[in-house]
Amino acid sequence: MEKLLEMAGKAADQAEVFSLDGRSSGAGFENAELHDIKADMACGVSLRVIKDGKLGFAHTRNLRDREELVRNALASLAGGVEAGFTLPSPSVPAALKTADHGIEGRGSPDLVAECGRVAGELKSRTAGEIVAEAWVGEQTLRIANTNGLSASVRTTESGVRAGAIFPGSASGIFRLFRSKGFDRMPQPALDEIVWLFNAGVKEVEPEGGRMKVLFMPDAMLALAWRLMHGASAKSAYEKVSPLAGKAGEKAFSSELSVTNDPLDDSLPGARPFDDEGVPSARFRVVDKGVFQGFYNDLNYSHKLGERPTGHGYRTAMWGGDPLELKPTPYLAHLRFEPGKKSLRELAAMMDRGIILCDALGPHSGNIPNGDFSVGVAPGLYVEKGEIKGRVKDAMISGNVYGTLKEVVAVGSELCQSFGGLFPPLLCDGVSVACR
Amino acid sequence: MLDKLKGFLSGVAADYADLRYEVKKVASVSFSGKELTSVGSNATDGFVARVLAGGGLASVAFTKESDAKKALAAALENARLIGRNIKKPVTLARVEAVKDSFSPALKEDPRDVTMEEKLSLLRAYNDIPLRSAGIATTTMGYADTVRERTFVSTEGHEVQEDLVTVRVSGEIIARDGGLSQNVRVAVGGSQGFHHVRGKDEAFEARTKIALDLLKAEPVRGGSYDCVLNPSLAGVFAHEAFGHFSEADIVETLPAMRARMKLGAKLGSDCLSITDDATLPDQLGFYRYDDEGVPVRKRKLLENGVLVGRLHSRRTAAEFGEEPSGHTVAEDYRFAPIVRMGTIFIERGEYAVDALLEKLGDGLYVLDAKGGQTAGEDFSFGAQYGYEVRGGKKGRMVRDLNVSGNLYRTLMAVTAVGSDFDLAKTGGCGKGQTNIRSCHGAPHVLIKDLVVGGA
Repeated sequence: MEKLLEMAGKAADQAEVFSLDGRSSGAGFENAELHDIKADMACGVSLRVIKDGKLGFAHTRNLRDREELVRNALASLAGGVEAGFTLPSPSVPAALKTADHGIEGRGSPDLVAECGRVAGELKSRTAGEIVAEAWVGEQTLRIANTNGLSASVRTTESGVRAGAIFPGSASGIFRLFRSKGFDRMPQPALDEIVWLFNAGVKEVEPEGGRMKVLFMPDAMLALAWRLMHGASAKSAYEKVSPLAGKAGEKAFSSELSVTNDPLDDSLPGARPFDDEGVPSARFRVVDKGVFQGFYNDLNYSHKLGERPTGHGYRTAMWGGDPLELKPTPYLAHLRFEPGKKSLRELAAMMDRGIILCDALGPHSGNIPNGDFSVGVAPGLYVEKGEIKGRVKDAMISGNVYGTLKEVVAVGSELCQSFGGLFPPLLCDGVSVACR
Repeated sequence: MLDKLKGFLSGVAADYADLRYEVKKVASVSFSGKELTSVGSNATDGFVARVLAGGGLASVAFTKESDAKKALAAALENARLIGRNIKKPVTLARVEAVKDSFSPALKEDPRDVTMEEKLSLLRAYNDIPLRSAGIATTTMGYADTVRERTFVSTEGHEVQEDLVTVRVSGEIIARDGGLSQNVRVAVGGSQGFHHVRGKDEAFEARTKIALDLLKAEPVRGGSYDCVLNPSLAGVFAHEAFGHFSEADIVETLPAMRARMKLGAKLGSDCLSITDDATLPDQLGFYRYDDEGVPVRKRKLLENGVLVGRLHSRRTAAEFGEEPSGHTVAEDYRFAPIVRMGTIFIERGEYAVDALLEKLGDGLYVLDAKGGQTAGEDFSFGAQYGYEVRGGKKGRMVRDLNVSGNLYRTLMAVTAVGSDFDLAKTGGCGKGQTNIRSCHGAPHVLIKDLVVGGA
């Protein structure tokens, strides 16, 4: 890595080497029986160079020929991609505990045992078709640049995602649990799956209209993606953000606070620096309804003349290969702050409404404008605080900038989900279309 | 490389093992608004091995050749672990051990086109929307992706095939005051660079739609009879039905598997659906899947009756049906899974005007904007639509997302058009992204779809 950086540094004004080396394994249970075990051993290197204000980029999984990688990066300079930013200098990153010894020695037999335990319990307490997957892995990320930065972080993670599917539907109630060490899925998560599944066995066909919707953590992506788009410096720079000019203004309900917290090392994936080597910091996106400002990476901080916020991550909407992607502004550690109500208390607050357990098609629709229109996967219909059954063929629609003004209450339990850490969020006046 | 791969497998004490080595080459250009954001060419490579031993099938992906022995040992151990923990041993359907090397006949190989020309072409397309005052920004990308696959197995497979995919795709965002409207644009294919030449009209048409959407009214949520255009009807075939023709999805869902028995009447009499990746000159074309099995045309639904399914060797053995060659991976990072190739609704008898007339009052819904399925429920977005009154197209409407139930909706297909179109770009995300996932259809009339609106 040092040799590669040295070679690139001689040929360019600035250079950065980003490398990953990781391994993982995962086990999957389907219909409560072991179905598959996969393993992965992957490494690779990505190179950015800046010369005469232009950016070059190249990557490889196998660094057999350093000269070739440098040549590829230099060749892409000819395209003329502008890069006015300066790569970061060394700094003292936050001291985080991102790896846990508890993961050492863990492997496929442990994953099979945990999936078996979870699947067994869900099978015994529901009539669902049980799915469970578990994984364990570790990764070392290194960044070095010609401004003297040399940083690395080793992260460990294990996780379980399990659920009960309503027979005949392939849609069900799921929960995700991740940890740095090798922790079992907590009992309350299993109890919640059982409660919601059993409450949703009966199919009901309510009338549509405007009503309360309780966005469960797995459904929060429909809101979070739109908020992230609006709060990105990229959207601000391109003048397509509905939040433009609203920093410091009350744009949402006072119940809503949203933070990006890469320093929370109680969770897997905490980061002392982003994918560009900029030190991480807690970043408040929304504080009691007040929009706090835009998050950026090096590129957009330069374009907007603002300080880097340390949110340059090599990712895309559905993840992607970090070695192939260049950094872009992204909230990789998103957390909607919890409130005070338990899930049962939130349900009891619903005179009439839908518990949206998961959203179908959160990526569809007009994200820049904040519009969402998602199917229920599944949705549970609530009347007078009581779950009446499961709704099929319904769509939940709205605009994130309107819906998040109508937050009635926020759940007290933070749940891990794809895209962040979310509590259940109860919103009023949401449009529900039913057959 | 063939000999090296066979050498790696020779030491594996398994009932069966295969190994795929793949070099993935990508040349790409992208713009965000007027700004060029990336240009470059890269090649990456890696291996995926699968081992069947003791009744279990396990896989491992690795990037370092020096890890081959360790990776295969891990897969072997995991396969045996599976075998000890399942009731019914995994078996693979018997297939011929193919030895073949196949490169598609490209009309214009993108590898022979200079990066300057690719950049110039994309810049010209990107400039089309940006010339209009109401367009706030764009994101626009060009990519040609080449997968050079080499596959060997302990049964004697030696298969090499290159898959070349070219696309220009992006998003056009129009803005008026506080209102933004976005439309997607995409051109491309799998037979060469010519697919992306001379497509100005497509970018001009999408620009006009984005601007028109600023004046359109949001659709009112509710239940509507709808005519879907081929782009959207193709997504319907893919999302609402296609995923449940993938045998690995229904394999372990007992209730759905019982309902999806061959011979079951699932759709209306006018609805027939086929998957045929062997069709030449279309996005989804390939000859061999990532198990070295030749892909076959497979009729799936005939006049509403389920007549076929898409298989891996594992699911074919499980169901006692013929393998179909539909086991495909995104690239060297993934073990293959069952994927649709080119799925489409077969032509019917109605002209588009006749379909709208038959619709009477309802919605004419056009062009896909993402879709997803969760079991029997599906959802997909549409880029725009029109109200239809008395069979006549009326005002434009926006914010259209359609949701439905697989079984109910297949029965609700009332009439099928005589036109036909296949998608030019793909991007199905069933755990992995398949950029060659192709779907198509004529216009179709479906009764009583749930449409989410404002």
